[in-house]
Amino acid sequence: MSESTSANTPKPSSSVKLVLLGEAAVGKSSLVLRFVNNDFQENKEPTIGAAFLTQKCSLPTRTIKFEIWDTAGQERFASLAPMYYRNAQAALVVYDVTKPSSLTKAKHWVAELQRQASPGIVIALVGNKLDLTNDGNDATAGESQADNEAEPSAADGEDASGENADEQDASSGDARKVSTREANSYAEEESLLFFETSAKTGVNVAEVFTAIANAIPESSLKSGRGTGAGTGQTTLGGGRPAEDSRVNLGERGASTAKEGCAC
Amino acid sequence: MESLAETPWDVTISGTGLAQSLLALALSRSGKKVLHVDQNQYYGGSEAAFSLQEAQDWATQVNEEPERFPFENAIVSSQDSNGVLASRAYTLSLSPQMIYARSELLPTLVSSKVYRQLEFLAVGSWWIYKFQNDTTAEQGGGFMYRVPSSREDVFADDFIGVKSKRTLMKFIRHIAKQEAETKPEDEVPDTSFSEYLASKFQLPAELHSTLLSLALSQDSDQQTSAAFAVPRIKRHMASIGVFGPGFGSLIAKWGGGSEISQVGCRSLAVGGGVYVLGSGIQSITPAIETEPGADARAQVRLSNDETFQSTFVIGSDWELPGQPRPQCDKVSRSIAIVSDPFSTLFPVTADGGPVPSGAVVLFPGSSLGQPDDAPPVYILVHTSETGECPSGQCVLYCSVSIPGLKGQSLIEDAVRKLLESTPNTDAKVLWSLRYTQLGRSADGARGTQPAKLTMHPNNVISFPPPSLDLTFDDRVLDLVKEAWEAVMGDEAANHEFMIFEDREGAYDEE
Repeated sequence: MSESTSANTPKPSSSVKLVLLGEAAVGKSSLVLRFVNNDFQENKEPTIGAAFLTQKCSLPTRTIKFEIWDTAGQERFASLAPMYYRNAQAALVVYDVTKPSSLTKAKHWVAELQRQASPGIVIALVGNKLDLTNDGNDATAGESQADNEAEPSAADGEDASGENADEQDASSGDARKVSTREANSYAEEESLLFFETSAKTGVNVAEVFTAIANAIPESSLKSGRGTGAGTGQTTLGGGRPAEDSRVNLGERGASTAKEGCAC
Repeated sequence: MESLAETPWDVTISGTGLAQSLLALALSRSGKKVLHVDQNQYYGGSEAAFSLQEAQDWATQVNEEPERFPFENAIVSSQDSNGVLASRAYTLSLSPQMIYARSELLPTLVSSKVYRQLEFLAVGSWWIYKFQNDTTAEQGGGFMYRVPSSREDVFADDFIGVKSKRTLMKFIRHIAKQEAETKPEDEVPDTSFSEYLASKFQLPAELHSTLLSLALSQDSDQQTSAAFAVPRIKRHMASIGVFGPGFGSLIAKWGGGSEISQVGCRSLAVGGGVYVLGSGIQSITPAIETEPGADARAQVRLSNDETFQSTFVIGSDWELPGQPRPQCDKVSRSIAIVSDPFSTLFPVTADGGPVPSGAVVLFPGSSLGQPDDAPPVYILVHTSETGECPSGQCVLYCSVSIPGLKGQSLIEDAVRKLLESTPNTDAKVLWSLRYTQLGRSADGARGTQPAKLTMHPNNVISFPPPSLDLTFDDRVLDLVKEAWEAVMGDEAANHEFMIFEDREGAYDEE
């Protein structure tokens, strides 16, 4: 992701904690790998426990630094997810478009997030492995995302599925088992962002993260938590940028080494 | 799906409180097979943070199964009859303690690279509830007095008389002396803090509790030893300015110790540790003697009936089977959500300094109608910037070293006086959680000996009860290091404690 901007002054930058959830082997880590390194590994080893990566996403008015917590889908005890979605501002819930059970699992995660995570968390539902389908043309999520360019990704999707066709059942060449319409209407009901992606070809991957970055409310970037239940009274921190209260531990060296210098 | 029995575990950590979670962090790059379990369904143990609903559930559990927790008598009171408070808009912490800039915890969080996952906010001012001259508690002449904690503050203070200012300056100069400059006559005598201040510095009695607040002593100035208070005031002074002008202590956003615990656990999870919530350790059966020199692993059974083998088992006495409960001190605590931001308590304390998100308010026992030697009530006030409550409100973390109803009624009185001190006449407590906490007083207070690990047979190690100090107790790091050394054995020599490289993929630019 390019960090060069024409503006001379740096854009405001905020960190966003994002958690990936979904059944094992739906391609969570591959999505992150595509987003962070623009890379794809066939037969990637399952994630052990969890992984932590960061990536910047440059928007016209600000830079979002994603702190990405990738959980192991086959994590047996479901004990890791709570610590990841605690205070998370965004969640990417991933399923595999060729595996209906993975959408069921995704719905469980969405319900869990809505029950337990911070109010105002931005949730994106992502159907991955679009490269294994051949109806990418009219099925990309771009349709449901009015502000999202669908055209180029649709074309890529078609190429990918073409390449992939001979690996598939010869009969159809299309392994899709979850229709775009089904997942999309569920996403609309639950007010989720929705995309179909291919980590393998890169279709829609950057778009997911950009859409999430755009959907994070400005207020949440300041306070880190959703709009909260304001009581209508004046706020103490109102109008002050968050940097005014944040203490940077890295500044220890820069500050004077004099002991007790306030005296 | 592997079962736990298939892995020969090197270490099983029981409980995800602060000490255990820091141990998890310390072991996160060790190559050891670590299983981390917690009997609770949440992270953080005695340092957890809760939404309103979770706090309610916690209170119920504490009362129903007191033997499982170092807490007693938890009561939730809500004035929110219409249910307008959004449960998850709150992160109420059982460990709201401050961290002094000079605490060893901060360099540890930096060297272990986890500090980037934490946000720290400044604690700005210390306040004392005082009375105008010649008035008493009954006459209602109370006001909030800002404790001067630097020479500039003393100059600017218009409450202290000129003569008192001079003696106070002398005391502050003395405290700020470097170790190398101290002479034998500077040795802190074996007396009470108030006697020390009166005899050595001729400080008037009305300033004693002022200085006591900087030591965060939970006893009165008569009951606090000079040997305890003086090094703590030194720490306070020496911490100011370390991370920026005008403040010397920090709070971790999103629930203090709870957030630090979670960061520790996340690090171990990234390092391959396995986490199981909702399952405590039911029993530990000693290892059967095998050939000498082979690692003997005890048989461990979890409350979910799963069994496995582990070389070490480490937890607190509340989280290990068959351990008698240790001797504990008890304090009354209360977490109160109030409908006012208390803006006046958080002035920026120096040019270019951050907007503080925390403040300390001390109510001397005498201000609450108690004898002069009664312990004070402390209230740590956290703004909504901490992420613990919505804006327009703040969270009061109250503490007094008298357990039970007596302590709670003193806290109630202090909270009422604090509310009366704001111009907002509608300010009120919206919700509160009152409880008694068991633990150990700060090292050196009340003659407490430094806390120790207990090494039981069969490589079972227990941490001492959690600290009741209002600041992070650096002793915890020593204990974690001792436990880490026990687990690492000879390998400890090849590893540096809590010093790690950044992980691949994380923060490789900037």
